[in-house]
Amino acid sequence: MTGQALDFNPSTELRTSLRQSRARAGIIGLIGVLALAAGAFTARDQFFRSYLWSYIFVLGITAGSLSWLMLQYLTGGAWGVVIRRPAEAAVRTFPLLALLFIPIALGTSSLYSWTQPTTDATLLVKQARYLNVPFFLVRAAVFFAGWIFLSWFLNRWSAREDREGPVPANSRMAAISGPGLIFWAFSVTFMSIDWVMSLSPHWFSTMFGLLFVIGQGLSGMAFLVTVLVFLSNFRPMSEVLTPRHLHDLGKFLLATVMVWAYFAFSQFLIIWAGNLPEEIPWYVERLRGGWQYVALLLVFGHFALPFALLLSRDLKRNFKLLASIAVFILCMRVVDIYWMVTPDSSKGSLSVSWLDLAGPLGLGGIWLAYFLIQLEKRPLMPLNEMELAEALEHGRE
Amino acid sequence: MKPDVYGVMAEFDNPTDLVNATRAVCEQGYKKLDTYTPFPIEELNDILHLHKNKLSLIVLVGGLLGGLSGFLLQYFVTVIYFPINVAGRPLDSWPAYIIITFELTILLGCISAVFGMLALCGLPMPYHPVFNVPRFSAASHDRFFLCIEAADPLFDMEKTSGLLETLEAKEVSEVAH
Amino acid sequence: MADEQQVIEKPEPHEILAKGYTFGTITDQIAAVVLTKRTPLLWIVGIGTGFALLNLLLLSATLLFAKGVGIWGIRTPVMWGFAITNFVWWIGIGHAGTLISAILLLLNQKWRNSINRFAEAMTLFAVACAGMFPLLHMGRPWLFYWLFPYPNSTTVQPNFRSPLVWDVFAVSTYATVSALFWFVGLIPDLGTLRDRAKNSFAKYAYGMLAMGWRGSARHWSVYETATLLLAGMSTPLVLSVHTVVSFDFTIAIVPGWHSTFFPPYFVAGAIYSGFAMVLALAIPLRASYGLEGIITARHLDNCAKVMLATGMIVAYAYIMEVFMSWYSGSVYEQQAFWNRMTGPYSTQYWFLVTCNIVSPNLLWFKSFRSKPALLFLSSIIVLIGMWLERYMIIVSSLAQDYVPSSWSLFHATRWDWATYWGTIGLFLFLFFLFVRLLPMISIFEVRTLLPQAKVRQEVKR
Repeated sequence: MTGQALDFNPSTELRTSLRQSRARAGIIGLIGVLALAAGAFTARDQFFRSYLWSYIFVLGITAGSLSWLMLQYLTGGAWGVVIRRPAEAAVRTFPLLALLFIPIALGTSSLYSWTQPTTDATLLVKQARYLNVPFFLVRAAVFFAGWIFLSWFLNRWSAREDREGPVPANSRMAAISGPGLIFWAFSVTFMSIDWVMSLSPHWFSTMFGLLFVIGQGLSGMAFLVTVLVFLSNFRPMSEVLTPRHLHDLGKFLLATVMVWAYFAFSQFLIIWAGNLPEEIPWYVERLRGGWQYVALLLVFGHFALPFALLLSRDLKRNFKLLASIAVFILCMRVVDIYWMVTPDSSKGSLSVSWLDLAGPLGLGGIWLAYFLIQLEKRPLMPLNEMELAEALEHGRE
Repeated sequence: MKPDVYGVMAEFDNPTDLVNATRAVCEQGYKKLDTYTPFPIEELNDILHLHKNKLSLIVLVGGLLGGLSGFLLQYFVTVIYFPINVAGRPLDSWPAYIIITFELTILLGCISAVFGMLALCGLPMPYHPVFNVPRFSAASHDRFFLCIEAADPLFDMEKTSGLLETLEAKEVSEVAH
Repeated sequence: MADEQQVIEKPEPHEILAKGYTFGTITDQIAAVVLTKRTPLLWIVGIGTGFALLNLLLLSATLLFAKGVGIWGIRTPVMWGFAITNFVWWIGIGHAGTLISAILLLLNQKWRNSINRFAEAMTLFAVACAGMFPLLHMGRPWLFYWLFPYPNSTTVQPNFRSPLVWDVFAVSTYATVSALFWFVGLIPDLGTLRDRAKNSFAKYAYGMLAMGWRGSARHWSVYETATLLLAGMSTPLVLSVHTVVSFDFTIAIVPGWHSTFFPPYFVAGAIYSGFAMVLALAIPLRASYGLEGIITARHLDNCAKVMLATGMIVAYAYIMEVFMSWYSGSVYEQQAFWNRMTGPYSTQYWFLVTCNIVSPNLLWFKSFRSKPALLFLSSIIVLIGMWLERYMIIVSSLAQDYVPSSWSLFHATRWDWATYWGTIGLFLFLFFLFVRLLPMISIFEVRTLLPQAKVRQEVKR
């Protein structure tokens, strides 16, 4: 089979299916958003809290896809060629996400205690140099500017490659991807400090940013695997994807699950062993009043179970099973972010608000619908990629 | 009755010929055969059905044993044998014990991988009849060998040698005990 | 023996093996280093230097045993000084070997096949050097077995909540597993040496070590499973080792030490210095043994890229560490970093920043990466920088901690330096001994890289 023989544009059946899924996601999203809007008037603080963590989850998928998109330009390999178009479609949703950030920008006074007048000397004098609303908004603007800049150029050059052929464009993408990944790592770190860590302004942990870096990578890869398995039901991707491609992506899932566990455990052990009054409250808050069961669920669901399953070679080569694990991991990402963001305001015991359901459904649905629109726009494989033939042969030799 | 020869050995100078010959010999119904090559060849695993082996199981058992003994050792020492309050930490400080539990899992897993591998291969085995073939030293260099053993029910000195000679072998020789 | 007759074309920059090799010539070229080839000047200089410095180590260790650890500059409050700095530095260097042999194997990176063997040997010897320091630092090294839990008449047992005890388990596991992995990798090549050796003693010795390896298909299939399993287990192991080393610091609540991202930061730093050492060894070796066809420009380029990537992670760590102490509002954290940047150790601090996060940025340029001499220089700079990093973390935090009245600086003595250079001697001596006695490139794995190793598809039925 050669590249020229295949038409990589979405087939008619795929378009129909995409349209159906889009409608479904859109309707769910709309209902969720309406519920959120109702919540904004009836339970203001809860609304912002639910909105924040749902938003961070959806953003994680997008920024995670951006990181994989840049990484594959640097490393090369067949896996990168097959995920490129779904990842490109995902990062084209950054403008939508920038728009969806507005409620958080409006809700800082409700979300973050450091916006309130305080008599706390450390907070007032020292941390206020960093934690103040104007600077917070400027930083958010820088994050979005960088992400949109990267996704815009990567998409533009990729589209040009489809039209004009491969020669200089690909090296340009690699050249932007190196610094791009560095920007991504720093922006995700500062994003996690600004939007999540500063919810409890006295608490700090240098690992926190890395937990978000790897968490986003995991969300992104789990999402891309899910999308690829969905696409593999239809032409043209049914002709392209082999178990070998999925096997490679499964290995990345396994690796990121392990690294996440490593980071999470290291942070926990260091803070647990140090037992310092400014650090330990963060975990005390998250390990009592019902939250300890959520933590236990994370140990099993976010690490032990996917780790044990993904060790199997046969499972990584089974499209349906791998996709189920990927979806399960995405659900665990939701739980993980929920567990990091909400306990501080839950007054010591676990209680799930109806807005905590409306949040991920609303934002997730809207985002997914927009993503599916983007996915349909371009051929599902990069047409003039130099490694295209190799990627198509991968797993067929 | 012990056969007076170990088998017949054919020499090839490239992996493709060896793979084709092995496939042909297997299709003739020979069961007791082995190939000797300077590096692993994936295709031979398919032909000789060598994909599954017990090593993973051995390593799993070894690793679990290591992890279990690692944790129990620490639990026994700090809770039962020598309970002492260190910096107000609980006697069963399980987060702290995970490290050594992990290290011992890996240690025993790796030791069982290495010794399991040697056991499954039957090594060390300084003497083996195939070493009696003078040209066999090239099996660790640039030549590829196929040996059909005399213990095979279909084995017949004349016929088996004849078969091997038709398979583009560079040389066919008898393997003495 | 056969290397004079070979017609090997110069490899293209992107190739991992020069064209024109056959199974025979590639075997002969690597085996000849051990069996027949004349000894190059580099080897004589290398092992000579190593041997001289090794004697320095013996001298300083003897003096240490006779007089006690007071011959070193360690005084309250800086009780860790050079010994722990060197320990962390050496063990970090070892990490690249395991990374190359295990992680790159799992990632199916074929280029690793030419450099994994000597990188693993490097691991083993670096761990040996690292292991010297905690033992020497103990003061009474003959009582080292007190570190392990064993039934004894006083019923006293190690404190399993202490990272120092975790270190004992992590480092001894690492040393054992590295040695096993390395030996398993050697078995087929020992078989080759057994069959190629002319000298009957060498034949016998290699034969015994090869244990009767004969390259049977049944053996290969188990062997490959074993290699994969060992790689799969070594990967988390290697991460855990430097993680546990970082716990030695983070579990203590000393300002500048108690930072939650130390584990990945230390691992990245370890790989960084390890790849620097790989380059520092590979560049002279390939030149003096004429192995440019097997360790090609592509290998150097890839190692340099790994160095760049890990260097960037280290840079991230430096930046975030400083930012977080500023963000936290904690006076102790802020003072610790202020002391590093402007205090008595500020020269070392800015020098290490230059070495570790400014200099690797040259590696962004392909033209820089393609010059072995510059890469060699750059890797030496990184090795110095990474040593200084550990020195800075250990000494500056201990010298100036919570209570200013107990502040006191560290001054290294000549015996500190003698012990340090002595372990470099031990390392060089062992490494050049290895180069002379065992194949420094994995012969059987390099054979699989040849185009003729691929079975052609035309099936005759």
